[in-house]
Amino acid sequence: MFGFSERSLSNLLFWVTRKKWLILAFLLSISFFYIPSPEGLTPEGHRTLIIVLVALILIISESIPLPAVAILILIMEVILGVDTADGVASSFMSDAVFFIMGSLMLAVSIVYQGLDKRLALGVINITGNKTWRIVLGFVTISALLSSFIGEHTVAAMMLPVALALIRNAGLETGKATHLSTVLLFSIAYGCAIGSIGTPSGGGRNVIMIGYLSEFGMADLSYLTWMKFAYPMLLLEIPIVAIVLWHTFTPSQKIMDSAVRKLKVQVAKTGDLTVNQIMAIVIFLVVFLGWVFLSPYIGLGIVALSGVFLYLSFGLIEWQEINRNTNWGVILLFGSAISLGIQMKETGAALWVAEGTLNNLEIIFQDVAVVRWFVSVVITGLLTNLLSNAATVAVLGPIVLDMGGNPLITGIMTSIASAFSYLTIVASPTCMIIHSTGLITPSDYLKAGWKLFIISVVLLLLISIFYWPVLL
Amino acid sequence: MKILIAISSKEYSGPTLDVGMNIARALKASTTIVDVGQKISEFSAKDVSLTNELMESWDLDRPGVDVLEWAYTYLAENKFIESQTIEAGFPKNLLVESRSNRAEVYLKGSVIKNLNLILRNGDIIEELRDEVHTYNYDLTIIGGSGKRSMAHDLIQYIDSSIFIVNNFNLKQDYRILVAVNDSSGTAKAVKYGVRVAQAFGIDVDLVTISRDNHFGEGYKNASARAAKLMRRSGVAAETLFKVGEPVNTIVEIAGNNHIIIMGASKQSPIAKFFMGSKPLDVIETCDCPVLIVK
Repeated sequence: MFGFSERSLSNLLFWVTRKKWLILAFLLSISFFYIPSPEGLTPEGHRTLIIVLVALILIISESIPLPAVAILILIMEVILGVDTADGVASSFMSDAVFFIMGSLMLAVSIVYQGLDKRLALGVINITGNKTWRIVLGFVTISALLSSFIGEHTVAAMMLPVALALIRNAGLETGKATHLSTVLLFSIAYGCAIGSIGTPSGGGRNVIMIGYLSEFGMADLSYLTWMKFAYPMLLLEIPIVAIVLWHTFTPSQKIMDSAVRKLKVQVAKTGDLTVNQIMAIVIFLVVFLGWVFLSPYIGLGIVALSGVFLYLSFGLIEWQEINRNTNWGVILLFGSAISLGIQMKETGAALWVAEGTLNNLEIIFQDVAVVRWFVSVVITGLLTNLLSNAATVAVLGPIVLDMGGNPLITGIMTSIASAFSYLTIVASPTCMIIHSTGLITPSDYLKAGWKLFIISVVLLLLISIFYWPVLL
Repeated sequence: MKILIAISSKEYSGPTLDVGMNIARALKASTTIVDVGQKISEFSAKDVSLTNELMESWDLDRPGVDVLEWAYTYLAENKFIESQTIEAGFPKNLLVESRSNRAEVYLKGSVIKNLNLILRNGDIIEELRDEVHTYNYDLTIIGGSGKRSMAHDLIQYIDSSIFIVNNFNLKQDYRILVAVNDSSGTAKAVKYGVRVAQAFGIDVDLVTISRDNHFGEGYKNASARAAKLMRRSGVAAETLFKVGEPVNTIVEIAGNNHIIIMGASKQSPIAKFFMGSKPLDVIETCDCPVLIVK
């Protein structure tokens, strides 16, 4: 047919079926390009929204590699005349992108120090051998550590501990049981609730702080963020542990021999080495830098300083950082933030914000409720489809244009983007536990929907009763 | 001859591995057993690989190694590996990344030549297609998923013959049903029929179906040629002429005690994509293993 060989037709069909979302995005962008700009929306804003739509389709479907989506966003911004090439380039790189880059590199540097065995010993010494205490301990440690170090680092270090315990309990490591499910989720959900605690808990927090400062709305310091968010984290720890325990109650109530075997295994690693002590000291220096210096030099520069110290003290090889850092994600977030800034500057964010307010006000009768609904519920749901940082990068400018106190809306949106309980793709920690083959997609819904609702309600209560005290 | 056997778990892949390895032994084919694991989102790919690296220091296996180890145990128990090599156990330390997203265990002392165990991660169709394209397999053997879209993608996009080990019962006595007509696919299907019949030492039904009561010269000659080849190869074969709708008739005769072998549809890929094909309809409705020969 048409002079094509059967094989090339088959190849073409394969490409079309695998790239259907790319084709759909292309066709939609062409059609939207030719419809006249709606009232109140500038032509630049109109074209920016086309890019947002294309980016969302391609990120959710993952039909082309993520770095390709990142590059496409930049190309479209220039070709559609949203900004000049130099303008796009300068909005592409920001302190938030420095932070994401630095925190991914710090994660590799920390994971490579072999501190996971010591962490295991610490957890087990605190929890003892009762399974419910181990679950609570896993949630607590994951939450507290990930609030400072970032969730992917903590999940990577905690996962082997959980799997070693499962193996030591005499269970097959390849077969799912309630014990394996509850332990793995206590890591994933622990990390999720932890990531809201401080700006360095997740790239999305820094993206939001970047927007607030870039748009001249507020300057948020590390400690101020903690005052707003940390109480919620602490309240969520027992809630997550209880919900997980009741949803996946394991038959093994005591893990005596498993814990003993783990202690024997870990004891072989000996005392802390000089390198490990230096690694911890450097991280503490970075933490102090975030708390005291970030208002002056930025969170990203502090994170990069940490990477500089790890590299120059020879605690990590550049090759290891290079091999294990997800450069594609850095490119994508750079582009997404650039797009977010363009949404603000072209008025696209304001247009979407006003449209949403006007339409939803008919249903909710109150602007404040609409604002809450979008920044919490919509963000929470979108974060389960998209990655959480991409959600904040895209939704951030819109919710900040909805009026009200931008500081409150901003923190609320960032916190809601951590409600990534429902799907595998919601966050790297969800994917890490899924990659073990022990967690099925339906497991995420079993406990996830309860935690989602509880978290939404808790955030509402905190924003009504606690935050006004701080303002 | 190169065979690819796709397995997924200890629970469901037993029959697939058993049938696949028996065919491989009979045909003296170089054989690769592949487990395609979960697709990892690009957002998290590096985080997952970093975690897997850390797991090695805990002497924990990366996901999928347990499935390969189970396959190795099967190979050892069924004498596909020489006994002196078996004593050393599953050589998981020889699992090496041969390409990105493809790790391979090089097995020593295998009875058949080039026996490999590999691990891949991602979308099953994309991974199998890439494996078959890159390493030129003649036959892919896979368990039945019961999903039409999966069967469609397998026969549409995998560039080798496909054996779907659907509802296979090790205790059942099987016959082979070769669907014979005047198409070019039939000759290949008959050759495979001979090989599989010899591999398992079972008899063959050569079934020719016409929609009306008239069987043309082409059909009759094809059936005669097939019967002759069976006779020469020492395979006991019965020739059947049936009237009816082809797909229903094949499925009806096959029941649950035949292995169906048929040539791939010769329609254009576009037509197959939109309208399906007889092999696809057979796979979807039958209750037994099906081999589609390309």
